[in-house]
Amino acid sequence: MPEREILDLDVLFVGAGPASLAGAIHLKRLFNESGCEASVAVLEKASEVGAHSLSGAIFDPRSLIELFPDYKDRNIPFEAEVKEEHMYYLMKGKKLPFPYVPPSMRHHGCYVTSIGKFTRWLGDRAEEEGVDIFCGFSGTDFVYDGDEVIGVKTGDRGIDKDGERKPHFEPGADIHAKVVVLGEGTRGSLTKKLIQKFNLMENCNPQVWAIGVKELWQMPSGTVTPGYVAHTMGFPLGHDIFGGAFIYGMQNDILDLGLVVGLDYQNPGVDAQHELQRLKTHPWIRSLLADGEIIAYGAKSLPEGGWYSLPKLTVGGAMLIGDSAGFLNGQRLKGIHLAMKSGMLAAETISEAFAADDFSAASLASFTDKVNSSWLKNELWKVRNFHQGFDRGLLGGLINSGLGLFTGGRGWGIKDRLPSHHGHELMQKGTAEDRYADLEFDGKYLFDKVTDVYYSATAHEEDQIPHLHVHDMDICITKCTEEYGNPCEKFCPADVYEMVQDSDGKRLQINFSNCVHCKTCDIMDPYQIIDWVPPEGGDGPGWVNL
Amino acid sequence: MKLCVLVKQVPGSESALRIASGNTWVEDAAALFEMNESDNYALEEALQIKESLGNDSEVVVVSMGPERVQKVIREALSKGADRGIHINEIPEIKSDPFATAQVFANVIKVENFDLIFSGLQSDDVGSGQTGVILGEMLGMATATLVMATEVQEGSIKVKRELESGWFQWVSMSTPASITIQSGINQPRYPSLKGIMGAKKKEMKVVDLSTAVTIEKQQSFANIYLPIADKKTEMIEGNVDQMVSRLVDVLKTEIKVL
Ligand SMILES: Cc1cc2nc3c(=O)[nH]c(=O)nc-3n(C[C@H](O)[C@H](O)[C@H](O)COP(=O)(O)OP(=O)(O)OC[C@H]3O[C@@H](n4cnc5c(N)ncnc54)[C@H](O)[C@@H]3O)c2cc1C
Repeated sequence: MPEREILDLDVLFVGAGPASLAGAIHLKRLFNESGCEASVAVLEKASEVGAHSLSGAIFDPRSLIELFPDYKDRNIPFEAEVKEEHMYYLMKGKKLPFPYVPPSMRHHGCYVTSIGKFTRWLGDRAEEEGVDIFCGFSGTDFVYDGDEVIGVKTGDRGIDKDGERKPHFEPGADIHAKVVVLGEGTRGSLTKKLIQKFNLMENCNPQVWAIGVKELWQMPSGTVTPGYVAHTMGFPLGHDIFGGAFIYGMQNDILDLGLVVGLDYQNPGVDAQHELQRLKTHPWIRSLLADGEIIAYGAKSLPEGGWYSLPKLTVGGAMLIGDSAGFLNGQRLKGIHLAMKSGMLAAETISEAFAADDFSAASLASFTDKVNSSWLKNELWKVRNFHQGFDRGLLGGLINSGLGLFTGGRGWGIKDRLPSHHGHELMQKGTAEDRYADLEFDGKYLFDKVTDVYYSATAHEEDQIPHLHVHDMDICITKCTEEYGNPCEKFCPADVYEMVQDSDGKRLQINFSNCVHCKTCDIMDPYQIIDWVPPEGGDGPGWVNL
Repeated sequence: MKLCVLVKQVPGSESALRIASGNTWVEDAAALFEMNESDNYALEEALQIKESLGNDSEVVVVSMGPERVQKVIREALSKGADRGIHINEIPEIKSDPFATAQVFANVIKVENFDLIFSGLQSDDVGSGQTGVILGEMLGMATATLVMATEVQEGSIKVKRELESGWFQWVSMSTPASITIQSGINQPRYPSLKGIMGAKKKEMKVVDLSTAVTIEKQQSFANIYLPIADKKTEMIEGNVDQMVSRLVDVLKTEIKVL
């Protein structure tokens, strides 16, 4: 029988997003400067870097400039510098320009970017610097020595749906590292374990999330201006649901259309993929898509809680960076530059820890000081009460964030810290209301979920244990049906959850092979009984340019 | 023993493929690429032979295409191949097995391989000829659709898949070029150490675009999606008329009789 591989490394980043990759590059350079020969590696569950990367995105180059001062000469695969920007308030059938575009929504000097292309580029640079990137491996657990993290376990491969070994079974590996850096992105599965074990959210506002769903459209030649940027509020979400749409012009006449929906709505019937379809019924949006063809689809959650929802960032042997910690500016809908900066500050901490040969909780804790004295904190501090303001609806949110502009981010202009609530707790029992009765999927502009999922190119080995662990399937057919009307069927943007009626009665069927790794179910399930764990390494979406 | 494996990088089967303008190929930029399925089995077979021989045998992986194909070469190196050769894409010959084999022959003839393995066919073009033509050009014995191999002194015995469940065992003297059927073994996953080690292995890049005259034998005229249309004809009349019309349709239109 094959044995578990054991690999001794020095620093292991989990997840090849911008946070880890920027951190790994910076760290490798710091090691080189100090003559330290420590090894740096990155673990990524996707089959290649970028295949699980999804973002908007408008990219603020602030951290990139620090990492690559000559970035302009490096042929970075940006789509275009932001050229023109618009902000609209949409009403059914109408669109009104915002009288005033707030500074947070102005993007001079920023780039329309496909994060997938960007992380692929950054991954190549990391390898050039001597970083090892292990694609197709997911981190599934920690290796501990007492209360110190000393490594990460990767998942087994070749286990069938009943938990039995298949002929090509290969056990996972134990990767030992002096420091493990979690850059798993939004709602990381290892991150969740670490937060629970060490109670890292103590005294913090609960994290609040949103889900972003997006489609890429191939438009007729010469019709899309790369660098075009528009944001909207209002239709289809209305005033009670946090969020809005983004429309970005990419290279080669590709239009990027997405919708962000706060995961703190009250109506259990809300369905983000359907809201995106409703958005396309708006005559203006519809006109933008005329004669186009959908080419890609995807979804991902994003942490919106901001400064007060940041967990404690370090334990002995491990630290949290990027979206895994929650370094995202919800007001600007931007996290890439903050993710990168957090990775770089982590790198500086680690480099010092190596110099002192001390990887204890006390030694790594200086990461928090570094964050506190960097622009990372300044940026997040100014918007520390942004999302909380939307607890009172769109208008409240806008007023709050407007007031905050003048008072340096105070809630309602006066309060230093507004509280936030777990999004899933806000869902109201017995209020499931169908918002989509008049939505018709024509297969040309408007798509049902399965069709959209096809365009996510997602794939999972079918003969494995579903990677969505529902801890009590009875609740699904009893309490949940009654209280919330099975919102999993709605909040999952990929048709993974399906209540079926067969000879054995009603039951929940988990179509896990549709999963696009957005993590919404893990976040939004009202009973918190769904655990998203990584499937076999390499499985999941096949995104190229989302 | 010197073993060669030809690997091709093809668009992944899950990618939502689109036909590129010009209608002669798919949009590369929209696809995720992976190792051709049967090539992966060919690689595994070569690695197993090398391991069973236990001497200083060598497995060399060769791939032709743009820079991105280095990814599948690295993948093969991380699974245990010893070195790689990347032949730069020659855009004009895309999809032409004869010209492709010609280029491969040009590059690898100096290597004097004992065995050349390739997949039964590529998942994107599917002509299934490159391995055979290459063997022919290098004066080797060739066998297709191989389901099992037994290496012997100076020869190799292979089990070939025939029609309707029949198999054939053939012995050939080496050197030989063999195309491998999917499913013949259990391809391994790369290990972490394998991935780290692959970086240190040799990957030679060869550019032949100006060095060879290519005899291109075939190209794509037009690619299109299958046109889905349903034609239903209600056959009317008495039984004799209906039968004669039905026979007529089966003979002349559907051509199954
Ligand atoms: C719809 C949407 C729009 C956005 N728009 C913008 C924008 O316009 N501008 C902007 O700056 N930001 C934007 N963001 C936010 C931005 O995308 C994130 O802040 C950023 O990607 C975070 O980077 P990260 O490295 O922390 O995580 P990610 O980019 O999410 O990368 C994490 C990586 O870790 C991998 N991974 C996760 N768990 C494991 C595991 N256990 N084992 C192995 N690998 C694992 C994942 O596959 C992934 O590749 C947007 C986000 C969304 C969802």
